[in-house]
Order: sequence, then C-alpha cells, then structure tokens
Amino acid sequence: MRSLDRLTLAHLWLSFAAFAIACVFGLWQMLARSPWPAPFFTPSNYFLSVTAHGSIMAYVLPTFFIMGFGYFTAERALDRRLPLRRLAWAGFGIGIFGVAMAVATILSGRASVLYTFYPPLTGSVWFYIGLVLVVAASWIWCAIMIVAMRDWKRANPGAPVPLAMFATVANAIMWLWTTAGVGTELVFQIIPAALGWTDSVDVGLSRTLFSWTLHAIVYFWLFPAYIAFYTMAPKAAGGRLYSDTMGRVSFVLFLLYSLPVGMHHLFMDPEHSTGFKFLQMTLTVLVTVPTLFTIFTISASMEIAGRLRGGKGLFGWIGALPWERPMVLATGLAFFMLWFGGGGGLINMSYGMNAMVHNTSWVTAHFHLIFGGTVVIMYFAIAYEIWPHVAGSPANSPARQRLQLWLWAIGMMVMTIPWHWLGLLGQWRRVAQFDYTNPLIAQWGPWVLVSVFGGALLLASALLFVWNLAQAHRRPASAVDAFSFARALHEHDRAPRVLNGFGVWNVLVAVLMLAAYGFPIAQFLIDDRPAALVHRTSGRAP
Amino acid sequence: MAARTEQDVVRSELRWSIVVGLTVGAISLAILWAGLVRFINPPSNIETIDPNSVHLSAEFNEANLGTRVENGQVVTRVVATQFSFAPQCVVVPANRQVTLRFTSPDVIHGILVTGTNVNTMVVPGYVAQVHSVFRKTGDLLMPCHEYCGLGHSQMWATVRVVPEDDFKPDADGRALCEKP
Amino acid sequence: MSPEDSDRLWIRSSIGVVVGVLAFGILSGFVIMPVVQGAQAGIDPWTAICRALGISPGSPAAQQPRSAASGVPVSNVIWSPQVLNTLSSAPADAGRELAVGVCAACHGELGVSTDPAQFPNMAGQSSAAIYKQLHDYKSGARINDTMQSVVQDLTDTQMAEAAAYFARRARPPWDVTWVRTAGPEADRLARTGDSARGLPACESCHSPAAAGPVETPVLFAQTPQYLSVQMRAFKSGQRRSDLFGRMRDVAGKLSEREIDMLAQYYSEMR
Repeated sequence: MRSLDRLTLAHLWLSFAAFAIACVFGLWQMLARSPWPAPFFTPSNYFLSVTAHGSIMAYVLPTFFIMGFGYFTAERALDRRLPLRRLAWAGFGIGIFGVAMAVATILSGRASVLYTFYPPLTGSVWFYIGLVLVVAASWIWCAIMIVAMRDWKRANPGAPVPLAMFATVANAIMWLWTTAGVGTELVFQIIPAALGWTDSVDVGLSRTLFSWTLHAIVYFWLFPAYIAFYTMAPKAAGGRLYSDTMGRVSFVLFLLYSLPVGMHHLFMDPEHSTGFKFLQMTLTVLVTVPTLFTIFTISASMEIAGRLRGGKGLFGWIGALPWERPMVLATGLAFFMLWFGGGGGLINMSYGMNAMVHNTSWVTAHFHLIFGGTVVIMYFAIAYEIWPHVAGSPANSPARQRLQLWLWAIGMMVMTIPWHWLGLLGQWRRVAQFDYTNPLIAQWGPWVLVSVFGGALLLASALLFVWNLAQAHRRPASAVDAFSFARALHEHDRAPRVLNGFGVWNVLVAVLMLAAYGFPIAQFLIDDRPAALVHRTSGRAP
Repeated sequence: MAARTEQDVVRSELRWSIVVGLTVGAISLAILWAGLVRFINPPSNIETIDPNSVHLSAEFNEANLGTRVENGQVVTRVVATQFSFAPQCVVVPANRQVTLRFTSPDVIHGILVTGTNVNTMVVPGYVAQVHSVFRKTGDLLMPCHEYCGLGHSQMWATVRVVPEDDFKPDADGRALCEKP
Repeated sequence: MSPEDSDRLWIRSSIGVVVGVLAFGILSGFVIMPVVQGAQAGIDPWTAICRALGISPGSPAAQQPRSAASGVPVSNVIWSPQVLNTLSSAPADAGRELAVGVCAACHGELGVSTDPAQFPNMAGQSSAAIYKQLHDYKSGARINDTMQSVVQDLTDTQMAEAAAYFARRARPPWDVTWVRTAGPEADRLARTGDSARGLPACESCHSPAAAGPVETPVLFAQTPQYLSVQMRAFKSGQRRSDLFGRMRDVAGKLSEREIDMLAQYYSEMR
C-alpha cells in the first residue's frame, strides 16, 4: 500500500466510522419525536444527541471525506507525488485530536448547544476548541491542495489543470472563504464567552457571521459529489465527459455564488433589512445555474455512454446504461433526489414563501435530502470506486454495494417525503417530543411513523456500508488497473485562462461579499447594538 | 443529440444556457412580482431593545403584553422567554390587519403560527415584527421553533382568532384571552 | 478567434454577468421594492428606501405602530454584565459581617437555616438567585415584612456581597439515614416535563448546567414545607416577582398533589 493511500484511508475511515455512529443517534431522535416511546429519553439526552448527530454529520463526515478524497485526487489526477505529505499527516493528527475533544465534550453533556451554536447559549469551551482544530486541519489540507496545483502548473506551463483537481482546488479556496465567518464568530465571540472572559454577546453579529458560513459549507460538502458526476460517472458508464469547459464553469460558479447568499438563512431575522435580504436572494437564485449546467452535461455524457452501448431512440440510452455498476446507479439515484431536494430549496430561498416553511420539518427534509441523499450517496459511490486502489482490494461484492445504495435512497425518500409534508402542516424543528394528545399534532402521527421506518432503512444502509468497506481489509490484496478519471469528449491542450486558475474569481468573490455582507456586518460595529447575556450550559458561576 | 464535432457541443451548451438563463430570470421576476403586488417582506424592521431590561421597558413590561388597539391599529405584544411565552394566550380579530411584536430577554427563540404564514425569529436585542391578517377563527398553536434550551419542546402559546364582532377591547384598548 | 481574444471574451463576459446580476439585485431590493411597497402603505420613497437599507427601523411596506402605554414592572433587577461581575468577583468574605450580623439570626451563620421549614437554606445557593430576591424585597416586588425591613437600607453592592458570601458556603451534607421517598412520577416531571400541558422539565431551568434564566435558584437542601409554600404562592399569584411569569405559569399548571410531590423530590436533592 502506498503511503498516500494510507493517508486517504485514514481520513475516510475516520469519516465513515463517525458517520455510522451519528446515524444511530439520528434514528433515536426520530423515535423520541414519534408517538412511540424512546428508551433513555430525557430532554437533555435528546439535545445531546442532536448536537452529536449534527456536529458529526456537518463537521466530521464531510471534512475528513473531502480531505481524504482530495489527497487521492491530487496524486491521481496530477500524476505527481503529493507535496508536503508530512504536513498532511500532521493535519490529520490535529483533526482527529479535535474530533476526540469535541465528541467527548458533547457526550459529557456540557455542549448541548447544537452544531449551529446559537450564542448566547454557550457550551463548554472544549467543544468549540475541538471544532476549531478540525477547521485548522482542513486549512492545512487547503494549503496542500493549492500548493499541489501550483507545482503542477509550473511543471506544465499553459496546460489545463485536470478537471478533478481544478474542482478540488476550487473547493479548497471556497472553504477558506467560507470558514472566515464561523472562524471569526468562534474566536472573537463564542470562545471568549465560553471561557468566561466576556459575559455578553452581540447575537445579531454572531448570527450574521454564522450565515456567512452556513450556505457555503453545504457546497463544500457537495463538491465531491459533483467531482464524481463529472470525472467518475461518465467513465463508469463507459462513455466520456460531454464537455470539460462546462465542468469548469460550474465549479467556478459554485465558488462564486455559494458565498454571498448566506442571508437567505436569516430571512426571518429582525436584525437585517429587506434590501439586503432581497439582494442575497437574487444571488441565491444563481446557485441553481451550476446545478442545471451539471444536469445537462452529465445527462449528455450518459447519453453518449448509453448510445455507445447500443441504446436507441429518445430515451433508449437510459435503459442501456450499465446500472449494475455502483457509480452509475448512485449517480442516477443522486439525480433523482436532487430534483426533489432542489425543488424544495427553491421554496426555501424564495423571499416570500420562506415564511411558510422556515424552521419547520420542511427545512430538515430539504437538507437531509440534498446532503444526506444526493451528496452522501455519492460519497458511498466514490468510496466504492476508489476502494480497490486505496485499500488494495475491492469493497464487498457489487450486489451488496447496490443493495446498500438502494436502501439509502429508498430510506431517504421514505424519511423525507413525510417530513416535507409535516413541515407544510406546521411541524416545527428541534423539538424533543410532541404532545400527541393535541388533535393538531395527533394527525401527524402516521406520517411521523413512516419517517421513522425510513430512518431505520438508513441506519441499516449505513451499517451495511461500513461492513462492505471493511470486507476489503479481510481479503488479500488483488491487482487492479491504475486509477484514472473520465476523459472529455473533445480534449484540448489549453483551457481559457480564467478557467485554469482562480485569480479573477477571488476578486469577484470579494466584490460580491463586500456588496452582500459589507454593510450588514458593518452595521453592528457602526452603532452599538444591545448585547445579550451569555447562558452557559457548562454551569453557572456560584 | 448530435455531438460529432466540438461546434455541436458548444452550440448545444449555448442553447441550454439560454434555457437556464430564462428559467433563472423567470424565477427572479416571479419573486419580485409577488413582493410588489402582495407587499410581501420577511420580518426585517431592525428595532433594537436592551434584552436585560425588557421587563422594565414601557412597551414590553408585563402589564402591557397581549393585544391592544392603538390609533386603530391592532398590536399584539409577546415576550418569548425560557421556556414560555408571556402571555400564554393572545386574542386577535379575524380579517383585520394585526401587527405582532416579539422580543426576547434571554436567548434566541423563534415563532410560527400553525396554518398561517406568521413566522419570525425572536433575537435578543431586537423587536421582531410581523404584519398579518388571520382569516380563520379558532385557536392556533404558536410554538417556539428555535432551540432555546432544554425546555424548548414545551414552549408554546395560543393565538385565539375571534370573529371581528366578538373582538371587544376594553376602554384602554386591551383585549384579553378569556379562559375557555 | 485567437486564444488571447477568447480569454478576453471570457473574462469580460464573466465580469459582465456578475455585475449585471448584482445591479439587478441592488436595483430591485433597494429601489423598486421599497418604493412600490411604500407607496401602497403611504410611506414616502425616501423613508422606504432607508428602511430597505436598514438605516431606519420598520418595514418599507407597513406603518410602524406607536404605543404610549406603560405599566409597573414586576421586578426592577437588571442583569447587566456589571451586576454579574460584582457577584462573581466580590471578595471572599466581604459579605461576612452583614451575613453574620443580620442574616444569621434566621438563615444561619453558614447559610444553614435555624428553621428551614420557614427560612430557606442559603448555603451553596446561586448568588444571582439570592441577589434577585434581596433586590425584589427592597423594591417591594416581593413581599415579606421581616425581609423588607432588613434589606431596606442595603446598597446593591452590599446585597451582592451577602449573596456571594452565602453562595460560597458548603451545602448541608446528606444524612445517610434519610430515605428517598419521591416516586417516578415526580422524577418524570422534574427531568422530562409534560408536553401536553406545556410544562417544561424543572431541570431545564433548575439544573446547574441548564443555561436557563440567570436568576434561577438551584433546588436542593430545602424542606418540602418551604418549597411547597413557595410553589403555591406562585400558583396563587401571591408571589409575583418572577420575570414574565415564568414560575407563575409553571406552578399554575401543577396540581396540588404534584406540588407536594415535587417539593418532596427536590427536598431530597443534594
């Protein structure tokens, strides 16, 4: 096993082990909210569980997956040795230390503040420091990705950076922008409050800084799925990528429009004016553009593969695709879930309609479907695809892999369709239990139970996934072909300059961020806004 | 789809880009139009209030909470606090514009009124304000929808919508929820 | 087209699209929406635009309500960072003289009361809770003849120091011969609450790690008599200095039996 593969494997296993545990928490939470009794139920256990589930799913699973997959991509796509390997291992060390610190604090019950923080509620400082360390580890990864691309460009002047790597670096740069918001909130507001250095916190500012991060972080999670759509799925289907340029445009648009839009999470907040909300809403609409481009390009790529395999007619190529291959199957299922999740998202981001669904189960359904569905199912497919190359032997049989993917997609739909409906009925979020003797709430009962069944399918699928991956380590190493990414239909020896680097885009991001967040953040500094007293879950002063 | 030459690819992409552009434009204009003709805005009034002295303020001290008719306007004031609303029940008339004003003396809360589009975050330091017209009479549930601590799940109040004729404020303009 | 021309076209169109979208958003959000909406609500365009920018308060689509109402607050305590700072940084024994000289007659020198059925134990109580009650006696928000006359001449600092003094005394020890008698029903109310009545778990405020309201007392080492009398006083509204009726609401939803059960339950807490 090459040392780089060990690095990838370490990251991926940490990510997936944490993921499986978080799924257990998730199912228990659904039980607590259902008409059925949940064992060990108390409100403090429930909110401990929500904090653990959210923190792991939002900060541990995607961050370590993206880092591990990024290292893999850098070496395979650039066909060069990864620079700064020791630093990469050091980053992993810092990250795992941070995860241990944060998770131990959550389990001690001293940080039940949810992964979205919500000061002035403040947990134990070790929770926040643990998460800062995870972010610091990811910054090391960003630096390594940027250095790797720069080195490659110096060695290959004028040549287009391979698409997989271009996208990975786009994600790294976006992540650096993204973490500025929550990083500032943690370092200047929350950690001093948790330490007892300050007794009050400007809640409007903290919510605004968190919103800076809150939307872009989702696109950070989503990038690997799109990288797989463009650079892995067409090859797995036996075809070619329809257009390399379209891929670059899409990734650049993600970098551009995932950042100046976070205020759509604050539509219902009283500390921002209508004008800035409308402006950020307008920019949010553009987030649909790269996704619509991607649906087009990947459908076209798949059509090429289908026709090469003998598919005829307007839709015949769909049936001709090799659906037995996990990557192809996962891509199809991911697109299916994307239609529903994206459609729901249009309601969320709408200036007027948001009031109908804000903080209801509709929103929970939306992000479970987009992230848990579309994105995580692609994490599974990527893991299956690269496992023979990093673990030395394939994951469990393709049939088991397909079973796992189907279970996940079906479970996700069975869980989130009722949630969407419950959200429209007015079921609100972040509640440990409902009073099913209330006639309004009683009618939710059957829907909630259906969603619990979906949750059970998801847990089964998560455990099967881990089992599938573990099987590879029980088998002797087998020879596999060298890994390669999908090739474009028409390959070029150069790409437009703006689509081969990030200089212009960083400037445009800065302009957009200044327009969208400049005054909304400055307002808190211009006039002194009343601050709220810190409420510490780590205990009151005597 | 014919994609034999690169020109074919580019042409198809340009066509699709136009479709995407029109879709995005249509969505934006629809939202703009809805805002213009229905006067829809999310709650965004940026009024500040010191959370530590909410109970001393003229507007949000305990005696002034609930519904009151002022200069012909129906205004309902509610404090969201750990872990209850004060008052626990408010009465509003049907088919009249009602202005709901909320604030929090402690942590972040949020409210929605089931079956309506009344929804806002209640952030300490600010007065959150929603304008609405309630069409159906009856008791509506108004839960806290943002995590505010361990008692969050038990935090809810009642909005009692009464027919306009049954809405009878007293001499001071106040209307109280009568016990059912 | 040469590569340079192509590059130039790419960069110009990229910047053009971004700036165009930004301009559309700014024009719609800051001009078209507020001016049109404001016209309908009788708000002049300038005010409406200022509201859309967030420079002046209010919605561009609706008149702001004006209120001239006022009322008497239930308590005059303000939890500012300064007050909390006084409580946490009061010198260790600054309040001793006052505590021993005045409070000790009923509440005991070390905060262990002489008659705990009547006078609550103070040792180990939250300083914020003690301070709030002293302040309320002084302002008349909470009524008790003895206490009101005792605190009448105390300054805020003296009250804070006395509170801090008692907060730092060791709690009365648990007597091993005592037997816990409170049943699972009380435990359920205390730790889970009752959603059907909108009753939060007692622990969601009273547990030291709950992050509930600042002035929440910790419940331990009191007699069941004292606790039930206080809960009944909240229920009847006789004691009404709790901010926003937090405790009046809760006690009002409890049955007489539940009050006794919970008083027993918390009297057995250490």
